Amino acid sequence: MGRIKAIIVKEFYHILRDPRSLTMVFITPLVMIFILGYSVSYDLNRIDAAVIDLSQGRLSRQLVQAFAANRVFVVRSRGGAANRSLSLGEAEEMLRRQQIKEIIVIPADLSRRLAARGQAEIGLVIDGSDTNIANLVYQYDQRILLDLNAGLLGAGRLLKLDTKIYFNPEARSQFFFIPGLVAVILLMISAMLTSLSISRERETGSIALLFISPLRSREIIVGKTIPYIIVALLDGAVILLFARFWFGIPLRGNLEVLLLFALLYIVAGLSLGILISTTAPTQRVAMLATLLSTMLPSFLLSGFIFPLDSLSPVLRAISYVIPATYFLRIIRGVILKGAELKHFLFEGGMLVVLSLVLLAAATRKFNRQRKAAQ
Amino acid sequence: MKLFYLVKKELIEVTRQKELLFLMFVSPVIQIVILGYVISTDIRHVPVGIVNLSRGQAAERIIERVRRSPLFDVRLESRHGQDYLDPLKKGEVKAMLVFRDALDRKRSALKYPEVQVLMDGIDSNTSMIAAGYFNGIVQQYILNDMEKLGRKLPLAGLPVFRFNPQLRSINYMGPGIVGFLLTIITMFLTSASLVREKEQQTLDTLLMSPLSTLEIYIGKALPAALIGLVDMVIGLLVVVLWFDIPFRGSLFYLFLAALVYLAAILSYALLISVLSSTTQQAMFFAWFSLMIFLLMSGFFTPVENIPPLLRLVADVNPLRYLIKIIREIFLKGNGIAYFWKDLLVLAGIAVALVSVSLLNFKRFLSK
Repeated sequence: MGRIKAIIVKEFYHILRDPRSLTMVFITPLVMIFILGYSVSYDLNRIDAAVIDLSQGRLSRQLVQAFAANRVFVVRSRGGAANRSLSLGEAEEMLRRQQIKEIIVIPADLSRRLAARGQAEIGLVIDGSDTNIANLVYQYDQRILLDLNAGLLGAGRLLKLDTKIYFNPEARSQFFFIPGLVAVILLMISAMLTSLSISRERETGSIALLFISPLRSREIIVGKTIPYIIVALLDGAVILLFARFWFGIPLRGNLEVLLLFALLYIVAGLSLGILISTTAPTQRVAMLATLLSTMLPSFLLSGFIFPLDSLSPVLRAISYVIPATYFLRIIRGVILKGAELKHFLFEGGMLVVLSLVLLAAATRKFNRQRKAAQ
Repeated sequence: MKLFYLVKKELIEVTRQKELLFLMFVSPVIQIVILGYVISTDIRHVPVGIVNLSRGQAAERIIERVRRSPLFDVRLESRHGQDYLDPLKKGEVKAMLVFRDALDRKRSALKYPEVQVLMDGIDSNTSMIAAGYFNGIVQQYILNDMEKLGRKLPLAGLPVFRFNPQLRSINYMGPGIVGFLLTIITMFLTSASLVREKEQQTLDTLLMSPLSTLEIYIGKALPAALIGLVDMVIGLLVVVLWFDIPFRGSLFYLFLAALVYLAAILSYALLISVLSSTTQQAMFFAWFSLMIFLLMSGFFTPVENIPPLLRLVADVNPLRYLIKIIREIFLKGNGIAYFWKDLLVLAGIAVALVSVSLLNFKRFLSK
């Protein structure tokens, strides 16, 4: 233990000698969460739509009214001059220029068709480029039409379908993204902290001193990791406090439980960093490798943005080796739903297993390099 | 000509390490393919639970449709109305569908059960989409039911999706990946380049060479730009050939926009390199900028959702304009008339970044 202490102290000197890096470790995540917490959002609270009413009858006016009365729709039925309707061509041009998301076309013979066939169609021309938004727009349309239909059939409401949203009643996507951001940032910070620690020694040549020291490889690897646990855990606490008090993300579960899991998660991130560091020949390679191996996987395959349930089995399998997958589930569960320790024993166990595997691989790698050097 | 040797030296440095070669040229392909699959998976297999308290046939038939739908994964079914919040809390299901018999059944001509959807609102996007799917299933059922009775719904909406008729999300997201990769690779190659020369004290050698400051600057930026362009071509090929995304617009403008963007992003990376004194600092700087660039570019979530004050940050984000231009060209086949403003703003940002960066570079080298 005394020998590991020597490494720990030495590593602390490294950290303190570069105060600018240390400040960045604490400041950048906060700025990031501040900016991104406000900016990353899916909420669709405004749909600009153009209505082209070729029928101008009682029914069509009722239809336009139904869309205009909906709080998300901003209906533009007239062009610049008053009392002038948009032409289809103008509306298509607006769609192309992204000024509107949808064109609602009411055919001239709406009432006649309804009388003749018992049904009339309305054209909904939707900008399909962003499929997510296109789907939502179409859903809103359907809901408005269903209500109108029920009224026309005299059924009051055809179907009582009411929706309740739990844990996040206003459906703010901040509740989804901010805990996710905390998880992704924490992993990347941890991995970056250790990723240069050995490759730096390799580049400056001081690695030879480590090689010939009486310490075991295991001790060197562990000793190089421990100081950063303290730094990263402090950082994690600051980030969590910021999310809690600035953005008002509630903490419904237990803080100690969350911190315990955060510790396991940080260790997994640091272990990944140390493995990259022992593998990479230069700092530049280590830097690129850390970013590529943490950023995109934890963006894409952890459930941070895209839900895991819809992924194909192969990609789902990859998600099991990404630490962020587990911590995302834990942090969202504990913070937003008040879940407890017993709910996440599997996730916690997997984080421990991942850390041990990564550390063992790093030790093996380091040991082999050491033997080769001697 | 002198410049050529510097470019050559930089390229040799990069290609000498097989790890770096792998990271630069092989990993982008892997990343694009994974990214492509992740974003092209539409939301499906949403885990739901069903509580059926209705005695009617209609509820049973609707539930049968939910069971058969690939959009849902029915994980729980019960006929008792106890504590259906627990599975939501544990995260086993994203929504609980509760069917009840309506109390005022006699008054309504068409009888359907009351349906309550209890959603986990945390991933509000998935939940909303799932609720929409369910809505669609129920409506379709009512429609069929009425047809059997010889009645029709008076108004029907006929949707047409412009620019992306089959609503393939990869068509929208895919082309953006190219901008994404261009940024990651070039930014990380360049932001550490000068720092390394500082750390290894090879900077003096460079300064004593007959090269002018401008030549050194270009010599540092050019190799990364070349690598970036190669990556872009690889990316485009993967996107068009593997994912079968139609390319409708002009290749010329695509590369023009990419070149302008490269000037902007590389001078930004060189600025980071000048301002940092250790590789670690450069790494944090580059990481921070990259996260902001990527997440505020409109790639994942719409730019319009950014609140007004922070919109200023998004307005100077060069990646935002590149992604917009790429999408216009790819998806809509729009000509320059539709994005000349974006190209102009991008060029403006590039000029500003190049001058600030070059100025700092000069000051740094003259020290």
